[in-house]
Amino acid sequence: MGTLLNNLDIFTIGFRNTVILFLVSGFFSLILGTLVGAMRVSPIPALRTFGTLYVNVVRNTPLTLVMFFFAFGYPKLGLPEIDFTVSAIVALSIYTATYVAEVLRAGINTVPVGQAEAARAIGLPFTQTLTLIVLPQAFRSVLPPLFSVLIALLKNTTVAAGFSVTEAGAIRAYLAERGEPALVVLLWVAFFFVILVLILAQLQRYFEKKWKVAR
Amino acid sequence: MTSEAPSGSLVSVQSVNKHYGQLHVLQDINLDVRKGEVVVVIGPSGSGKSTLCRAINRLETIESGEIFIDGRKLPEEGSELARLRADVGMVFQSFNLFAHKTILENVTLGPIKVKGVDKKTAEKDAMALLERVGVSQQAPKLPAQLSGGQQQRVAIARALAMKPKVMLFDEPTSALDPEMINEVLDVMVELARDGMTMIVVTHEMGFARKAADRVVFMADGQIVEQASPEAFFTNPQSSRAKDFLSKLLTH
Repeated sequence: MGTLLNNLDIFTIGFRNTVILFLVSGFFSLILGTLVGAMRVSPIPALRTFGTLYVNVVRNTPLTLVMFFFAFGYPKLGLPEIDFTVSAIVALSIYTATYVAEVLRAGINTVPVGQAEAARAIGLPFTQTLTLIVLPQAFRSVLPPLFSVLIALLKNTTVAAGFSVTEAGAIRAYLAERGEPALVVLLWVAFFFVILVLILAQLQRYFEKKWKVAR
Repeated sequence: MTSEAPSGSLVSVQSVNKHYGQLHVLQDINLDVRKGEVVVVIGPSGSGKSTLCRAINRLETIESGEIFIDGRKLPEEGSELARLRADVGMVFQSFNLFAHKTILENVTLGPIKVKGVDKKTAEKDAMALLERVGVSQQAPKLPAQLSGGQQQRVAIARALAMKPKVMLFDEPTSALDPEMINEVLDVMVELARDGMTMIVVTHEMGFARKAADRVVFMADGQIVEQASPEAFFTNPQSSRAKDFLSKLLTH
């Protein structure tokens, strides 16, 4: 307990940054992932190709390499400078979006084709057919795997520690300097991650109940 | 070769062809439907009647030929096609009510999103339509909570909410339990009496007798015969139609 209470400042900063990284990149990866998922089922071949290419390239690259690119490759491109936290968010969003897109595409495939036909038959164009009829049902049917992706994202935020972002994964290194026992620190970090994931799981149960679609 | 819709036709299908792989499912189909006419399309399964019905609002693409709705050529894709579809009501065999929306929302969605009707007016009109098809009590429920017959009546109300020029029915009673077929057919008969232009693909010969102005008999991707219901059922001309009718009557 002493390890935690004496270093509450580091723990607070660490987990606050973890939550910020998670929320911001979660938000952007859901949006980007939905767009890419929609591209992959689009009637326009160029969009489909782009979507497939994006998913296959980024998903097949280790997250650490994606982070490396933004931390060390990006500054050499001569573009406006971004700090490490922002580049971590960009890397996490771009990476996680591929998983969101694939989960969502699976969800789109579970929606009976008649739903889209009925939407088109009353005169809805492709975009509205997708956003009003298909995607809402697709999201509902893939809530469990979608939350698995979000939980993975929460844990993936620790990779950012390697790039000087003070988040939960970096707590051990900081406290090692203060002479705290590494194992105890790691157990506390693990404990708080379990708490965060449990909160996410509660959220998942809430949405599953609220959005239960009977067929 | 460009052609024009004959005047007086609300729906005009001209020399339409379509293949599914090797199968020539629509073979040089010509069909004109006048305003207010009720055309019933019958025929054995695999004869292409559903495909024809779905081609009229381009849920199925065609390879050659032309289709006109109220004098306008059916556009290939895009917003123009969406606009034209809004004028063509469609009722499916499997109802296809939007599973995540309430009965009322199912009926108001089209008018609000496609026609820009304000929510209050749309809901008032929708309730009147649900009343007309006898399911207004179910308005706040989800589709899965309704019986098949009720769902299909809602589907008819949803199509009517767009104030279509023509209604297409693709085997509307084929997925229903026998005791629910009549409640749907009654709504359709009433609709026919009110002067709606209708193209109905069905196996319900009773409906054809009662409500049709014309029966179109299809077999193997071709329109084999068309006549008034009276003439068709009492005195079919083609051997295919005779054969088809004799199979129906023996049971």
